[in-house]
Amino acid sequence: MALPLPPGLTPPEVAFLCEMELVTVIPRQRLEGLELLGGPSPPLNPPHRASLPLWLALLLKRQRRANILPPPWLTTLSLTALLDHETEHAESFSPPPRLPPAPSPTTLPFTPPFLQSSTAEAPPDALPYHWLELGEMLLEGASDDFEEPDVVRRLLRGLREVRMAKLRRGVEVLDAAGGLQMNGVGGMELSEGRAFIGGVIDGLRKINASREQARRDRDREERENGFGGTADDDYDDDEMDMR
Amino acid sequence: MALQHQIRSRQAHTPGATFLSYTPNGKKLITVGIDNYCRIFTTGSDEEPATIDDCQENNTAIAAGNGFFITGSEDGTVCKYSLENNKLEEVLVRTSLPVRDIALSPDGNWVAVASDELVVKVVNTQDMTKILYLRDQTRSVKHVSFDTSGTYLAVSCTDGRILIYSLSSEQPEMIKQLEGMIKSIDSDAEASSKVLWHPDGRAFGTPTPSRDIQVMSWSDWERQKAFTTGHGGDITSAVWSPNGALLATTASDLSLCLWETKTQKLLKKYDDVRATILSMAWHPTENILSYTNNDGELFIHTDIVPTEHQGLLQLSIQSAPFFHDPTEGTSGNAGAKLANGAKETIPHRPGRRQRTPDSINDILGDLSEDEAMDDFVIDDDGAGYAPNVNGHGKRTNGHLGALASPNGKRRAFGSSFFRPETHEAFQPGSTPWRGNRRYLCLNLTGFVWTVSQETHNTITVEFYDREFHRDFHFTDPFQYDKACLNENGALFSCEPSGDNPAMVYYRPHETWTTRTDWRTNLPAGESVTAIALSDSYIVVTTSANYVRIYTLFGIPWRVYRQKASPAVTCAAWRDYVLTIGNGPVGGDGKCHLLYTIENVKRDEVFQAEDIVALTPNSTLSNVFFSDAGDPYIYDSTGVLLTLLHWRSPGQARWVPLLDTRLLPRLSGGGKEESYWPVAVAQRKFHCIILKGADRYPYFPRPILSEFEFQIPLSSPSDSKNKNKREEFDISDDEEDTTTTKKDDSRTLEHSLILTTTLFTQLSSTLSHTRPTSSQRQKLTELEVSIDRILLQLLGQECMAGEEHGMKALEIVTLMRDANGRMLELAGKVAGRYGREVLGEKIRELAERRLVGLDGGEEE
Repeated sequence: MALPLPPGLTPPEVAFLCEMELVTVIPRQRLEGLELLGGPSPPLNPPHRASLPLWLALLLKRQRRANILPPPWLTTLSLTALLDHETEHAESFSPPPRLPPAPSPTTLPFTPPFLQSSTAEAPPDALPYHWLELGEMLLEGASDDFEEPDVVRRLLRGLREVRMAKLRRGVEVLDAAGGLQMNGVGGMELSEGRAFIGGVIDGLRKINASREQARRDRDREERENGFGGTADDDYDDDEMDMR
Repeated sequence: MALQHQIRSRQAHTPGATFLSYTPNGKKLITVGIDNYCRIFTTGSDEEPATIDDCQENNTAIAAGNGFFITGSEDGTVCKYSLENNKLEEVLVRTSLPVRDIALSPDGNWVAVASDELVVKVVNTQDMTKILYLRDQTRSVKHVSFDTSGTYLAVSCTDGRILIYSLSSEQPEMIKQLEGMIKSIDSDAEASSKVLWHPDGRAFGTPTPSRDIQVMSWSDWERQKAFTTGHGGDITSAVWSPNGALLATTASDLSLCLWETKTQKLLKKYDDVRATILSMAWHPTENILSYTNNDGELFIHTDIVPTEHQGLLQLSIQSAPFFHDPTEGTSGNAGAKLANGAKETIPHRPGRRQRTPDSINDILGDLSEDEAMDDFVIDDDGAGYAPNVNGHGKRTNGHLGALASPNGKRRAFGSSFFRPETHEAFQPGSTPWRGNRRYLCLNLTGFVWTVSQETHNTITVEFYDREFHRDFHFTDPFQYDKACLNENGALFSCEPSGDNPAMVYYRPHETWTTRTDWRTNLPAGESVTAIALSDSYIVVTTSANYVRIYTLFGIPWRVYRQKASPAVTCAAWRDYVLTIGNGPVGGDGKCHLLYTIENVKRDEVFQAEDIVALTPNSTLSNVFFSDAGDPYIYDSTGVLLTLLHWRSPGQARWVPLLDTRLLPRLSGGGKEESYWPVAVAQRKFHCIILKGADRYPYFPRPILSEFEFQIPLSSPSDSKNKNKREEFDISDDEEDTTTTKKDDSRTLEHSLILTTTLFTQLSSTLSHTRPTSSQRQKLTELEVSIDRILLQLLGQECMAGEEHGMKALEIVTLMRDANGRMLELAGKVAGRYGREVLGEKIRELAERRLVGLDGGEEE
């Protein structure tokens, strides 16, 4: 019984995941630390800053109990620089934020939900994994905490268009052996592009199916005729892909 | 008739628009009109004026300098005439459209020409090939006006905008565009929209569309007081008296008014004007106002200021009508602007303002002016630069331009005898007036700000914690100028005014009975220099060098005289009181600041008259206690220092915890910002980031930023590599491994010294107080983390190689060995890297420590 949903995560699901990101808030009233499923939250003590998960920050913001400090990459200055970088480098995406040095050799490196990529200490010059959904949510829920919300919104829109255009252009080279460098692509962009790109690849594969079949037949014949040869590895790979 | 005696009307030109100008020394008066000659009148003589024939016709503007004058005419020529031989010297510049106004810079070297063209030309009067073009106008220009220093030019356009250009750079630069100050007027209208720079150089006035004269301060572009002229027609001309104490305005309703600058009151109104006056000029020294009208006539109005007000003309340069004069000692935290026209200097707290005669003049302005003036002149060099000493051709210093105005001159003179510079008093966390607002107090609890409403102030108290406290505001008839705020209450104080002595007002936030706010007066003649509020006491330092300590319910608890005086500021935390005063003079001619810390409850002095360590020529910006109760200071060089061991007499020392100049955000370059200190809490420095040349926060309230402590160990150039790596074009992840290693050990070294400092701070606090369990735990944590950092350092040294063994052993000896296992661990680290010799030595060390032979202290 297949779920009537496209493969991968839907945009609401991506947004839900994004709500785990930590953001910096300036509380407007006291709040003891809360024991949450995701770990204890720090006690709030105005005007000291604190890092809270986005969902809690938005909740407090809606109740006017806190102000959200937009991350440094969500300022007009940084976004303009990022947009310039994106338009100048037509073939690659702007790089993701650098990972901090691992605290000790034994622990695993951080991954985005636990990496502090959207707090006030985040690097100002790189878009984190959840940039699009986080920006949209902050602009919707806390637009009065931005200095120029309209400019930020416009820049975000511009960035999104540029990057989506790159993703779509990448499809042109997606042939049987083609590849697309997708470093720095955000979560929401992936989920948006997944349906389209997946469709394209499936379509290409259907078109190539007969040729593929012919090649496989030939391979089998060759093998039966005793030619082990180099095609062996290819065969295995193709087999895996088709499943 | 008296009137006829006073006014000498001269038919100077054929009926039509006529303009005039005095030479800077006031000896000659030159008029131009619609006919083709200029007339030169000599002050004080009734003789027929000299005439220069064969000029241009339809002249529209004139400006006179020393020995020459310049005219502009409707045919677009700007001509320079010599006054020595009354001849045309040269045509300075031609414009394609009629000239509307010309202005001569105070030094007489540049003339600005406004014409119906969009471009304003500024021509050198000596060398007409040197021309500056000001091109930012979108409509034609009606007036141009140089400020008193000659570095700024105000251009009034016909579309109602004023553009201010800076001419100090090679390429003139527009620095400000002002809208709504003037009406949009046709370029050939009689009405005027000229910018009138006040002679004190800190403000200018303009005729507004509502026929008033609006004054605007020039440093922050805030509207200041206005002269409500009540003219029935458009203002056609207005001019400040040479010392700025009076303003003369005239309008097309045929009236001429005289205003007093300080009060903006009408002194005298002349209704007997025959025709619309187009141009007016004060005689530079005498009580004469000359004006020309649109009927070709010149009037030399002697004794225009009534005798009862004549004293006003003889004052030194008066300040422009500010709501709050920036130089007036607001709480001393004032961003004093120098009155000497040195406008590029940023308002900043110079120590010299106190006691300079000029500021006394400002403060004592209420006294009879003559009295104040007499002292003022005698005090001085008596070289006759004081206005009107002999009356003959001596100019008031208002015309000498920026360099010679009082403050500058006084300083040059004052340096011939020794006068120590005292540090000015200030209230921590307050800002000076800007426009009609200022912050009285800004800290982590909340902020107190006041708005001046002319007769009273409105004070608003806001809190960060909206739930715990309710914001409140009240009207304040006493004009409180200092405030403190904490969790329990708000403290205010006001200066003595008139018969009312200085007062202190405490308002608790909440009580379980009715509100128990109280006021207490200080003895007459004593004013408050700084106040401080703690959880249990109120501290007031006064001008009589008393430190007055009250309980929270207003019971006077201690009064004593401060040894270091005059008092600068004070701070309080629980039972501890920190007072700072001026002490003996240091090498740079400034007083050292001395501080005293005492415990009021136990009546115990911890540090008596110890020095506040400042670098030469820096000043103290703020002083406060952190949330853990340690004193911190922030100085004008941007360094945050704390006092270690301050509870042991004689042991205290200042330790830098943060140098904001070395912050990576500044060292990256390109950013110009400064940090306004607010507080230290939870081992973080809270401040407000000020962009550009701002020195004080303003409205709307900027958000607080926090910085981690960073003890200045190395210059920011080391971190440049890092910055570069973090820039956009990250090509690949190749990193110079040696740099990273160096960086790592740097960070470790830094965190070692920072943790050690914090450990010392906390342990000295705990040794003098009853520690709570959480404090004790924190102390242990710090101690363990010191050892952990040392272990990491040891690991690095071991990895670096056998030859680093000596250093590695030194690191081991530095260990505190809090839990007794650190040396063992160190031995293991050495073993892991295969440093057997080192491991052996570590074991020896551990054994010696165990038997108490080596307590970490070697002879």
